Amino acid sequence: MYTILICDDDRDIVSALEIYLTSEGYRTISASNGRQAIQAAQENEVHLILMDVMMPELDGIRATARLREGSNVPIILLTAKSEDSDKILGLNIGADDYITKPFNPLEVIARVKSQLRRYTALGGADKGPGLLSVGPIAMEDASKQVTVDGSPVALTPIEYNILKLLLSHPGQVFSSAQIYEQVWNDPAYGSENTVAVHIRHLREKIEINPAEPRYLKVVWGLGYKIEKGGN
Amino acid sequence: MKRLQSSALGKGIAWGLMLVFLFLGAQLGLTALRSARWMPYSDVRQTWEFQSLLRNKEDSVAALFSVNQRLESEGLNYMERQQLTAQLEELREELWMNGGEKGSFCFTVRDLEGEEVFSWGVEQGQDISQAVDTVYYAWFELGHFYAEEGYPAQEAEAGPDGAPLPSEEDPGAAGGEEDPAQPDSGEAAPVRYVIECGVTQPFTGQDELSWLYQSFLNERNAFPSRMGGTVLCLALAAVCLCWILWSAGHGTEGGIVLTWQDNLFLEAYLLVLGGCIAPTVAVGAVSATEAAYRFEYYADIGMREYFPWILLGTAALYTLFGALCALMLRTLAVRFKARTLVRSTLLCRVLIWLGNCAARLWQMGLELARSLPFIWKTILLFCAYCITGAWMYEIGRYSDGFLFLWLLLQLAAFLFLCWWAIGFQRLRKGSRAIAAGELSYQIDTHRMFHDLRLHAEDLNNISVGMRSAVDQQMKSERFKAELITNVSHDLKTPLTSIINYVNLLQSTQQTDPKAVEYIEVLDRKSQRLKKLTEDLVEASKASTGTLSVNREKIGMGQLIDQALGEYGERLEAQRLSVITTLPEEETFVCADGRHLWRVIDNLLSNCCKYAMEGTRVYLELTRGHGQVTLSVKNISREALNVPPERLMERFVRGEESRTTEGSGLGLSIARSLTEIQGGSFELVVDGDLFKAIVTMPQSA
Repeated sequence: MYTILICDDDRDIVSALEIYLTSEGYRTISASNGRQAIQAAQENEVHLILMDVMMPELDGIRATARLREGSNVPIILLTAKSEDSDKILGLNIGADDYITKPFNPLEVIARVKSQLRRYTALGGADKGPGLLSVGPIAMEDASKQVTVDGSPVALTPIEYNILKLLLSHPGQVFSSAQIYEQVWNDPAYGSENTVAVHIRHLREKIEINPAEPRYLKVVWGLGYKIEKGGN
Repeated sequence: MKRLQSSALGKGIAWGLMLVFLFLGAQLGLTALRSARWMPYSDVRQTWEFQSLLRNKEDSVAALFSVNQRLESEGLNYMERQQLTAQLEELREELWMNGGEKGSFCFTVRDLEGEEVFSWGVEQGQDISQAVDTVYYAWFELGHFYAEEGYPAQEAEAGPDGAPLPSEEDPGAAGGEEDPAQPDSGEAAPVRYVIECGVTQPFTGQDELSWLYQSFLNERNAFPSRMGGTVLCLALAAVCLCWILWSAGHGTEGGIVLTWQDNLFLEAYLLVLGGCIAPTVAVGAVSATEAAYRFEYYADIGMREYFPWILLGTAALYTLFGALCALMLRTLAVRFKARTLVRSTLLCRVLIWLGNCAARLWQMGLELARSLPFIWKTILLFCAYCITGAWMYEIGRYSDGFLFLWLLLQLAAFLFLCWWAIGFQRLRKGSRAIAAGELSYQIDTHRMFHDLRLHAEDLNNISVGMRSAVDQQMKSERFKAELITNVSHDLKTPLTSIINYVNLLQSTQQTDPKAVEYIEVLDRKSQRLKKLTEDLVEASKASTGTLSVNREKIGMGQLIDQALGEYGERLEAQRLSVITTLPEEETFVCADGRHLWRVIDNLLSNCCKYAMEGTRVYLELTRGHGQVTLSVKNISREALNVPPERLMERFVRGEESRTTEGSGLGLSIARSLTEIQGGSFELVVDGDLFKAIVTMPQSA
């Protein structure tokens, strides 16, 4: 059983999150500001922290930085700020993921599970010769099997090929035409639209929130890519 | 050093010392001058004074001899005898032949045969050359010295001193009018005698010659010390003067203090001082000459005891002169230090005053000209032009300069018109710029015609006012955006709870079907509220330009493909078929991909929300003139009873009832995002046809 520390100054949000997480079988501890969170994390064995950003006394960003000094426990930031700069700041100082308010409880649970799996995976799967992986996404070429956070995902052959192409060049942007030519082995004649649809399906399968993808990203006007390192 | 410079005691001492040194220097200088007279001569006998004394003596000898001869002659009455005796006595006195005191002058009178007739100071029969080392010769004619009452104009000797014997040739030089061949009276032909005379060595006597000799020696010996003393005193006085000039104007309070002397007009001051100096110099020069050259004269006339007083007086005069000069230099120094040397001159003041007067007059004229109404100004200028032309014609009719003058006038008129036109041109340019919305434009009013300048200044003020109004508006917009952002952040926290608890409610088992329905409504509305707050933040950010824009080369075809990929299923759900028209090759624009996606996102989302089911949506991409235009056309489900401009305002939707989903912010956001990327956004409503046109700059 994993222990999750929930830290938010809004009591009702904490309660709601406690209900969700308890029903998923996690033990929860709550704190109402950054100082309490640090104290609770020191006193208990905590496997994951959900941290609000805007809190009195010690805000989430500083608390995260403080916690990171002595622990690598996964931290997910809950933020009402949806600006890119805030997300980047949070991730840079050591948070593992973020969820913007108002959030969908299902997304929270999915992200919690994902982070816990990665945290407890003890080194992850072996890096065999036919294994491609970025972040939680792993692809074994021999068995044509794709897993996200260890759980298998069913992909169509075309989706599989697209993912393989992107996974083998993380960070590189492929235009629809390039993907079409590589995957279909045909010159592209205005049929790139198909690629976009396939990518959207693929995103729905491997991303927790397809509207806000963390790994398979759309580079608008240029193409698609798999985020290097993956966040 | 500073204290020394400003010390009043130091100044007083310097002045006192300078006066003393000047006085001493003047006195010593005068005596040195007197000494200097003798310096060119090594022997007293070379001096003019000696020669002159000697000649006087020779004259006396001649007179004495003549009187003596006369006395010895027959036929004299008593009266004549007495007169002659007195005369003789006087002459003897002059030649120091009476009493115990013996003169150093000795002489022998010989007739033309060389026979000694009379002698003095020489032993009987002894040659005079044995008594003296230099013998002076002179000759005279008997009878001239007593011809009339008193002394006649004596013209006895003409023989040069060095001439050993008088000769017949040279009387012409002096005795021209009394030629011996032509006696003027009936007496016998005059008899000539020769005087041999000299001065015994060393000048043993008590007479003037000895005295001259003594003073010659004394003066010569004293010269070096007197000269040295003079130089020393003057040098010390100069040092004092330097001190005075150095400390001049430095008061105890610091800075340069001007006294009343330094505030007088420089010319007046110099004039007064010069007026004082000129007579001082004149009198000083006269008395210096007196003191130096007429010393013997004073001695001669028995005023020897007054001589020191003359010296003192002259020295005092020179000291006064020096003091006046020092005063003048002092005030010059003070004025120089205070930088008022030029300004304190009357000339400068007068020039400044004249300049001010001229400036005021010019100003008055200008004011007058400016206060005239423009129309009057034009008329007057034209009249002036005509009159000047006529006048030039009048005076120029008779001379060749006419054409030249006339041309000058035309040139002046032309230049004036050019000046006016240039100003007008600037004014036009400025007003065009301001009219075009360039509010920061300021018309350059430099050297502009007065009326034009007034106009230009008015325009500038208008643009400034408008600019500040626009700035004000921008500021309030930004404030509003900030407010909206903060409010929606605050809204998000309770909204999170609402969404979560609605979700929790949904997961509980509800037996009442109504409760399930209500919870469904709550869920829908809370989701809508979430969307609204997100759109609100985005709209306010986009419209105030607080978003950052990273412009890149974006492929429009690619972007449309991606967008249609995202929207494929939603469009299909509404049974909308998309017809895209793209150019053959990829079209690139310069834009921020995320923002441009949001624009297309909003447009396609609009299509899904408001397009009539089962119709076609046209996407058309065209390019030309450096612009790329994307148009999205669809048929509206509802009648569009709102003009397109209103559609782009916030919270305005195609139908007023507001029952459909959507915040009414989509088009507003799309327009703002397009504009911050440097593009333009346009809506056209033609019946039920809704058309959105996005134009972006094409990338190379």
